[in-house]
Amino acid sequence: MDYELSLNDGNSTEVLPEPIAGPIETPSGGKIVKPNLIALGLSASLLAACGQDDNSPQATSTTVDKSSRIAPVKLTTVEAARLLQMAQFSSTPDEVAALIDQGYSDWLNNQMATPEGQTGTQWLMSRNHHVPTTSQNFFSGAAGDNMIWHQLINSQQQMRQRIAFALSQFFVVSLTSLTGFWPAFQIAGYWDVLTRNAFGNYRTLLEEITLNPAMGAFLNTKGNKKANTAKGFVPDENYAREVMQLFSLGLYQLNNDGSIKTNLSGAPLETYTQDDITNLARVFTGYNWDMTGVTQQSVSGISFTVPTTEFTRTPMALKASNHASEEKRFLGTVIPIGTNGSTSLSQALDTLFNHPNVGPFFARQMIQRLVTSNPSSGYIGRVATAFNNNGSGVRGDLKAVWKAILTDPEATVRQAGSTAGKLREPALRLVQWARTFKLTSPSGRWLIGDLSNSATSLGQAPLRAPSVFNFFRPGYVPPQTDIATQNLCAPEFQLHNETSTSGYINFIASFIEKGTSDLRPDYSALLAIAHNATDLLNWCNLNLGANSLSQGTITIMQTALEARALTSTGSDANKLRRIYAAVLMTLCAPEYLIQK
Amino acid sequence: MNTDGLKGFHRRAFLQRAAALGGMGAASSLALQLACVGEAAAFNATDYRALVCVFLFGGNDYANTLIPRDLTNYDRYAAIRGGSDGRTAGGIAYGLNELSNTALTPVISQTLTDDINYAFNPALVDLKNLFHEQKLGVLLNVGPLVTPLTKAQYQSTNRTLYPLPPKLFSHNDQQSVWQSQSAEGSTIGWGGLLGDIALSSNSTSALTCISVTGNAVYLYGRDAIAYQIGTSGAVKITPATSTSVYSHTEVPAALTQIITATSGHVLENDFSLVTKRAMNLEATVNDAIAPINLSTNFDPDGVSNSLANQLKMVARLIGARNSLGLKRQVFFVSLGGFDNHDALISDHAVLMGRVNEAMNAFYAATVELGVADKVTSFTASDFGRTLSSNGDGSDHGWGSHSLIMGGAVQGGRFFGKAPSVSVTSDDQVGQGRLLPTTSVDQLASTLGLWFGLSQAEVRTIMPRIGNFATDNLGFL
Repeated sequence: MDYELSLNDGNSTEVLPEPIAGPIETPSGGKIVKPNLIALGLSASLLAACGQDDNSPQATSTTVDKSSRIAPVKLTTVEAARLLQMAQFSSTPDEVAALIDQGYSDWLNNQMATPEGQTGTQWLMSRNHHVPTTSQNFFSGAAGDNMIWHQLINSQQQMRQRIAFALSQFFVVSLTSLTGFWPAFQIAGYWDVLTRNAFGNYRTLLEEITLNPAMGAFLNTKGNKKANTAKGFVPDENYAREVMQLFSLGLYQLNNDGSIKTNLSGAPLETYTQDDITNLARVFTGYNWDMTGVTQQSVSGISFTVPTTEFTRTPMALKASNHASEEKRFLGTVIPIGTNGSTSLSQALDTLFNHPNVGPFFARQMIQRLVTSNPSSGYIGRVATAFNNNGSGVRGDLKAVWKAILTDPEATVRQAGSTAGKLREPALRLVQWARTFKLTSPSGRWLIGDLSNSATSLGQAPLRAPSVFNFFRPGYVPPQTDIATQNLCAPEFQLHNETSTSGYINFIASFIEKGTSDLRPDYSALLAIAHNATDLLNWCNLNLGANSLSQGTITIMQTALEARALTSTGSDANKLRRIYAAVLMTLCAPEYLIQK
Repeated sequence: MNTDGLKGFHRRAFLQRAAALGGMGAASSLALQLACVGEAAAFNATDYRALVCVFLFGGNDYANTLIPRDLTNYDRYAAIRGGSDGRTAGGIAYGLNELSNTALTPVISQTLTDDINYAFNPALVDLKNLFHEQKLGVLLNVGPLVTPLTKAQYQSTNRTLYPLPPKLFSHNDQQSVWQSQSAEGSTIGWGGLLGDIALSSNSTSALTCISVTGNAVYLYGRDAIAYQIGTSGAVKITPATSTSVYSHTEVPAALTQIITATSGHVLENDFSLVTKRAMNLEATVNDAIAPINLSTNFDPDGVSNSLANQLKMVARLIGARNSLGLKRQVFFVSLGGFDNHDALISDHAVLMGRVNEAMNAFYAATVELGVADKVTSFTASDFGRTLSSNGDGSDHGWGSHSLIMGGAVQGGRFFGKAPSVSVTSDDQVGQGRLLPTTSVDQLASTLGLWFGLSQAEVRTIMPRIGNFATDNLGFL
């Protein structure tokens, strides 16, 4: 294993904790005991120095001298595939090899150092989606679906995309709710905020999200005005409420490990009151889409002019006369009467950002998105601590958060026990498949569309959550399950029911064979091994499931495949049929679907 | 009894034995006690009855669902909502003359708060007719309460004496509170508890509680599980049920084995249980509904209406009740989009139009099926909204009005207490957020009594009902 010392910063010695030995389930069902060395970013390089191998039962030193560092032990392919499936979407043979070659820490650093690639907006423009047509493309969100699929499947900045997708389920905007001119560009402008800030700072991200035109439309900061006594209206409270409930604090005061603070009689302490919301709502007044950079275009056959798309990617503009000048008193902060809009915004967002809830609240949900549904309080606490201080005194450093999540021992070592892991989201399954089999769109249009329908389609479409509460809730408990009996949650199960489980299998069975008329998967890498069912299934098990399929399941699959004879000289058509069958059974197996 | 997929049954059997052996001593939790009471309460119904919960996700704007039309109260409404001169539309207020087609005249003499007279939203024109035909009633200002509350008690800091429902004004939590009396993460809803008691009346008991929309805690009891179905019926898993997949004749059986396998891993096992249930019931359900084709038009306006599609499937399932051996059912359908912070007038009217079309067609379908007086539907929502405007919409509130429809409903009248049209009165807690005067528990218990439960049985599923003046609001 190759979790390198560079995860720590450079001191010559450090104390190793007592290794936490725990059984690790292997895909074959056997158990090995493995020391949990990753806790402090320490690594098998120590073990290498001690002459021990990857499966060594324990580490004996309590102090290590980093200067004696020797060439690190390489990750196994299974370990690499497993880590890749948390940090990004796919784990192709090339990606597995690159991770092993670079080592996990360097690989993470390299990923996070990779600059942004083509943005969603740039892709839309490259396809001329900004040119208004007589069929009124400027009122359609359809190109937005193709934009996000193209980004998730095709972008070279894969970890950045994976993180942005996780963020899109925290700072939610739904394309389904966007109306008016250029919804596809609105959602792209939002998505580009997430990819741009994925490795930046939470405070910057929070401000860009707050002023993002799509978010403004979605949660009504756009057009929100100060109270008007003559007309009897007061500021809209939607953004003020949801920015606290969903984007920063949550409803209850939290300890750093995510546990809820209670009063002396054991009742949970609420984070804010209705009065806090009413006051904070004043901060988000005076904003509207910034149309100053826009040109009005005439379109043949259309009786009205159509604006150009700049307003979808420019932060909303503040009109001072529409901003509430009253005092804003919330969460212990008092913004004095007469304070201007931008100062008010800055102080309000600072107040939210510096609230002690943010670290644990954000940490838990990001761990759930990337690693496991039920992280320990220790895990949440470690990630929250990284949020609070990246080690250099910086709060909100998202790189530190991702590192803390992805290098935590609860992530890096497959956890023992019968409740670890999470259900893979339908969209993640599809993107993984598409990247693994190098999906292309010969037309360049990426006509994948809205796959929300659970009876006839995937049952989840990125950036199309039904509401700001995402596709599923972080605290969702599927009723009448053993998950519930054990007091656990399983957010993604909120999408799982009789219709969706059936619809997914039907959809994926068709999609892996034909894609859509606009798409082409490439199975050529498997043609050479298709005649050997064992090799074929092992390939699928490793690269799709990080060897999570049991030998029993593999045997069932193998018997079914071999019932149809196929030799190395068989036709490509017959080899493809066997490949489809192997991929289908893998992608539908509960052992694959529960990522652990 | 076909108990496919009801994993709780073995647990309940255990509890029964435990009770029989006197093992329920001091350690028994409320849940355990309730489970046993539930078992004891199970009845064997001979007729058919169904409840249909129509959930309006996002928080329905009560003040533009039921609108004052007498001049005094209309003027108050218009003043708060930004109406224009001459009682014309403005802000988020309807004009008075827009209400003439949906004016509601109770079939008995009723004097409501401040002598208010109501009209429905102009889009609820068919439901107005059902009101006058006494097939639809309105329950005023209903919402989650633990105990009756005055405004002063609400403002008190003594939460021991004056407890509040958890997490007021929060969408996800209030959806859950309405359905299950507790906030997000809850696993037992009162529709499911009603289902528990009815399970033994149904030969395909796994179809007692059915959702035609997404997963909803409302339909889960201690034993009853929500069976989820699409608007086109149950979805057949083609690759697992065909004779071959990609020319591989052995793959369908292998796939079936894999997707229904038991597992020692809790998440895997819980996942495959749902798939197993889907496969076990698919043919049964689809065969039963195949011959049920209704002549009722669920789409008179030709515009896609998700709620109408869902209710059509409910009607077809009800039509199949005899072949499925069902005597008692609870259904859940929904329509989203009610969080109208902006563009309230235009967006809410569209949603009201869908509710009108869907519910009107559904009532007609129950007439067609000969079960109009056997099916009671009611609307629910996260919460009501503010009466005050935020420019062109309204904000999160608390109490709201519920429409109750069916042949057994004492229609054409109002139930509960009408709220004042005010942002300062004692029946609201600010900006016209209604302090409920009727609790969801009372709505549920009234429905439960009609469903066939005794008062004692109702008390087991609504343990707080004794806090309120009555367990029967009289609308059924």
